[in-house]
Amino acid sequence: MRHRPVGLGLMGFQDALHILRIPMASDGAVKFADESMEAISYHAVSASSDLAAERGRYPSYEGSLWSRGILPIDSVKLLSDARDGQELDASSTLDWTSLRAKVKAQGMRNSNTMAIAPTATISNICGVSQSIEPAYQNLYVKSNMSGDFTVVNEYLVRDLKARGLWDEVMVSDLKYFDGSVGAIDRVPDDLKELYATAFEIDSSWLIESAARRQKWIDQAQSLNLYIAAPNGKKLDELYRLAWERGLKTTYYLRSRSATHVEKSTLKGTDGKLNSVSSIPAIVEGKACLIDDPTCEACQ
Amino acid sequence: MLDWSEPTSQKPIVVPQVVLPAETDGHAAGLGVIARGAGRVSVDEKAMINCRADVNQLLPLKYRWAWEKYLSGCNNHWMPTEVSMQADIALWKSRDGLTEDERRSIKRNLGFFAASESLVANNIVLAIYRHLTNPECRQYLLRQAFEEAVHTHTFQYIVESLGLDEGELFNMYREVPSITDKASWALKHTQHLDDPDFKTGTLETDQAFLRDLIAFYVCFEGMWFYTGFAQILSLGRRNKMVGIAEQYQYILRDESIHLNFGIDVINQIKAENPHLWTRSFQDEVRQMLTDAARLEAAYGRDTMPRGFLGLNAALCEQYMHFIANRRCAQLGLGPVFAETENPFPWMSEAMDLKKEKNFFETRVIEYQNGGALNWE
Repeated sequence: MRHRPVGLGLMGFQDALHILRIPMASDGAVKFADESMEAISYHAVSASSDLAAERGRYPSYEGSLWSRGILPIDSVKLLSDARDGQELDASSTLDWTSLRAKVKAQGMRNSNTMAIAPTATISNICGVSQSIEPAYQNLYVKSNMSGDFTVVNEYLVRDLKARGLWDEVMVSDLKYFDGSVGAIDRVPDDLKELYATAFEIDSSWLIESAARRQKWIDQAQSLNLYIAAPNGKKLDELYRLAWERGLKTTYYLRSRSATHVEKSTLKGTDGKLNSVSSIPAIVEGKACLIDDPTCEACQ
Repeated sequence: MLDWSEPTSQKPIVVPQVVLPAETDGHAAGLGVIARGAGRVSVDEKAMINCRADVNQLLPLKYRWAWEKYLSGCNNHWMPTEVSMQADIALWKSRDGLTEDERRSIKRNLGFFAASESLVANNIVLAIYRHLTNPECRQYLLRQAFEEAVHTHTFQYIVESLGLDEGELFNMYREVPSITDKASWALKHTQHLDDPDFKTGTLETDQAFLRDLIAFYVCFEGMWFYTGFAQILSLGRRNKMVGIAEQYQYILRDESIHLNFGIDVINQIKAENPHLWTRSFQDEVRQMLTDAARLEAAYGRDTMPRGFLGLNAALCEQYMHFIANRRCAQLGLGPVFAETENPFPWMSEAMDLKKEKNFFETRVIEYQNGGALNWE
């Protein structure tokens, strides 16, 4: 009880973007990440300070950053100074001057107030999207100790219904393309952009959003990154970017397995693991097989 | 590491002006006397069966799909001991966690697989390898042979974890008639390949080789294994024997490549040797698939005489018809059974859709081996 830290986080970030109709890979999402976290931060700090006024400060308060009038947003400047003046975004929209004064006057009830947890399971129980994560897929299975649960992106279904595109074929296509609408021709481009999934989005957008969120958080974020087929160069670029933007942490890197099993509930076999045609070409004499992908002469 | 990101050489292929050494014993197998100073092998000289060129030169690649499957197999690497069996042990030891029908089905299922993985491995190493005269395909066969060892290891691990009677389990293929029937049906097709005098190169022997590939890759791994997967995954979705169910998901991922490697091999042999794929041979293959489905239906009735929640012998038979028709389509043959749906729609959840797994609670399946990382 000497420090009484708590970690207020958030979940449903992707849901909020769907409702606002902002694609995850956009400046709009970065701006929303910034402003939504600023609001949470503002009220969290303010509430902790009010609790301090009511019930007293946490015992180790004296000498803390709070007591010296340093708020999370001020750490951006400290970071910039430590990096020889590297430019980092420090914009804000709320009245932090008076909150800073209030904290100095009343103190804080909690040494730390915010941290973003992964909410991997509770988000499912609550029926919202996970934490600050992008949609894993628009159709996938959530798998944990309690079993497997099929998850469908309701917003996508609603949009497809509104445009008369939600039918049996769409369900099969979604299954075939592993919950991605990117490869389905009849899905309009605006929906493809809005419903791009974790592996389709360039993960640097997730870092940009997280960096703006970090300005307001006194602890850190469980930030998952996604690369379908990781390679050294992509990893290097991504993690350097995270450092440059001043992120304190990243969490897991999710990738894909090398192959997948044949889909069992589609009409025909998906053939994704076959490379040789099943129809033998009729050959007479020494001719090349026109449908033979391994024929060097025809390449 | 050689992979798709590297440019392949586009140099014109120079056909070396050499006369290949006359066919000698052990030449196609790769065990013949080394032909000193013989010309280098070109892509054109490579062939799936009856190849007269040196079988020890992996490069230049001709069948990239075989090399690609080898890489995928390596990137999918796993070991059975990585999967926790805690929940399974608790359930198996509890008095009323499983019904008698479920226990019987699980034991027979494990018994079938325990011996089958060895039979499949033997067939690869002792029968197929010798006659498949292409180094990139052999590269995959070696990987597959190791995977069969991993799978056999899985059953050893399960037997040990659950404290099962090892003698009972590993002898089921000899003591349970419905399993013996399947195993001996498949073995019939591998036995004469094992004859030291057997040699491909004639219509009869080449077709015998194809029959073996169909019996093992298409019927054994591509049909029979699938009922086995359905039984265990069905229990898994009810939160029973979740460790075994997870093991089976890994096995299924491996087997999917095994099966499709077999299909590609068969289709490639067909393309290179269209004279083998006669009308009567096609009818014979269709009959093989029909017989295999019939044997499987009998096994289904034997392992699940009364069925259990979500699964019974009749549904398994329907599923086998569905799978058999798929395999026919993959081989370019017409269906052998009336068109039917997959009777297990829950497979959509258990198999088809990608899983987002909780790292803390279960082991992720969406990964690739670290060595696969490419540095551009």
